[in-house]
Amino acid sequence: MNGAHTSIRDILYEPPGPKARRAIFWATAASLAALAALAALIVRQFYVTGQLDGKYWSIFTRYTTWRFLAKGFAGTLEVALSSSVVAFAMGMLLMMGRISRSRALNWLCTALIELSRGIPTLLFIYFFFLFAPQLGLKLSAFWKITLPVAISAAGVVAEVLRSGVNAVPRGQTEAAVTLGMRGRSVFFKIVFPQAFRYVIPSLIAELVIVLKDTTFAYVVNYADLMQNAKVLISNYDALLSVYLVAAVIYILVNYALNKMSVAVAGLTRTPAMPGK
Amino acid sequence: MEQGQKIVGKEPIIELRHINKHFGSVQVLKDVSLTVHKGEVVVIIGPSGSGKSTLCRTINRLETIDSGEIVIDGAVLPQEGKQLAALRSQIGMVFQSFNLFAHKRILDNVTVAPRDVLHTPKKQAEAEAMELLRRVGVGDQAHKVPAQLSGGQQQRVAIARALAMHPKAILFDEPTSALDPEMIGEVLDVMTELAREGMTMVIVTHEMAFAKAIADRVVFLEDGQIVEESTDPKAFFDEPATERARLFLRALEH
Repeated sequence: MNGAHTSIRDILYEPPGPKARRAIFWATAASLAALAALAALIVRQFYVTGQLDGKYWSIFTRYTTWRFLAKGFAGTLEVALSSSVVAFAMGMLLMMGRISRSRALNWLCTALIELSRGIPTLLFIYFFFLFAPQLGLKLSAFWKITLPVAISAAGVVAEVLRSGVNAVPRGQTEAAVTLGMRGRSVFFKIVFPQAFRYVIPSLIAELVIVLKDTTFAYVVNYADLMQNAKVLISNYDALLSVYLVAAVIYILVNYALNKMSVAVAGLTRTPAMPGK
Repeated sequence: MEQGQKIVGKEPIIELRHINKHFGSVQVLKDVSLTVHKGEVVVIIGPSGSGKSTLCRTINRLETIDSGEIVIDGAVLPQEGKQLAALRSQIGMVFQSFNLFAHKRILDNVTVAPRDVLHTPKKQAEAEAMELLRRVGVGDQAHKVPAQLSGGQQQRVAIARALAMHPKAILFDEPTSALDPEMIGEVLDVMTELAREGMTMVIVTHEMAFAKAIADRVVFLEDGQIVEESTDPKAFFDEPATERARLFLRALEH
């Protein structure tokens, strides 16, 4: 597309000449043909195995099916939101420990951040699901999924917040301390509000990851969208149709989050820095 | 301009005693001693890299010193904590790059410190801030954010922000060096007005004509040392006593 906008592509590559344009045309045509063939093959396979049969799709004409999926979706949102809040709180604490002047705290928080970022979410879930009960820690299914997802995101949140804090120009702190403001005030009134604005888009991107991680809820038997989809599948044997609908719902939500992130990034991109 | 009639007090506000400072193996301040009296305007000039800005920034401990003593209005500048913050609040600072708080409206830039440090009630802080903003000629910009203002306007807000703490002195670290030429005048005018009202000021600047007009005392710094100090700026700029100052001033003419 050659609109008025400058895209990344325009910056990275010079405009194609006639030869390149012809090559692009044929490459595009070939790829489209290959894709169409693949799609046809897939549909054919589904047809052969009977997945396109009306009985698998007619369940979606029923109100109860949608209500059941909506319930699961509500569960997904609940876990995603709670995990995000917990992850943000933990990330905030880890970040503050990481940038504090205390060596020990610094080291401890760095280690925790690395653990959080390095261990797969599923392992944290197994910990809360299989191991924690042996330690006498009895949690509801909701917390068995919410906590590990949150812990898994906390390290990234901490690092994202820290990158924001580091991006605030030193002059902002200097101006605040020369006015007689002290550590906590300088951080919470001057530095952090700016740091937070810088990283809102990255934090929203992390929300997408949290949302996707909530699909592990089936491990702990928590009724989220994925879990309820599985129930539908086993009841109606409707593998393709149900997964397709669930996938579309996840895509729509994450697409909305990404759009939001871009919009927020646009809002905060207004020149925030004084001077030149 | 009634510079000659201005009364400079004998009461010292800022005293630097035998200040030494290194950046790594380079000594940037060499046994610098300087006293700034109440109501005095001290202008520090010198070639770039001479330590002018560093000297200015040691006064409120934005730069630490290796040895020596800094005394603010009779109290030794502490190294940290409440006392340091308290003394800092009495010495205003205006930076080359303005350093307005980017996320706050102009009015809030001026009120944040009085409210946080002096616990001035919001209404009173805002009334005072508006008064100050009007004084420096940006009263109509109060509800914008810094990025919407020109450099000259931002620097005048920075001066108002410093004044809001009722400081005993204000340090100016190259206040016009980041400004487009057409905006330098408006900032210098505000500073001249402040000097006339008797504010104690330490100014690091490259604006020699301005220095000559506003200074009660000129300090010429080179290689981290005070090479020449003069309470007669006209005489200094016309005929400096030292060869090094003469060379510096002559180099500026070309």
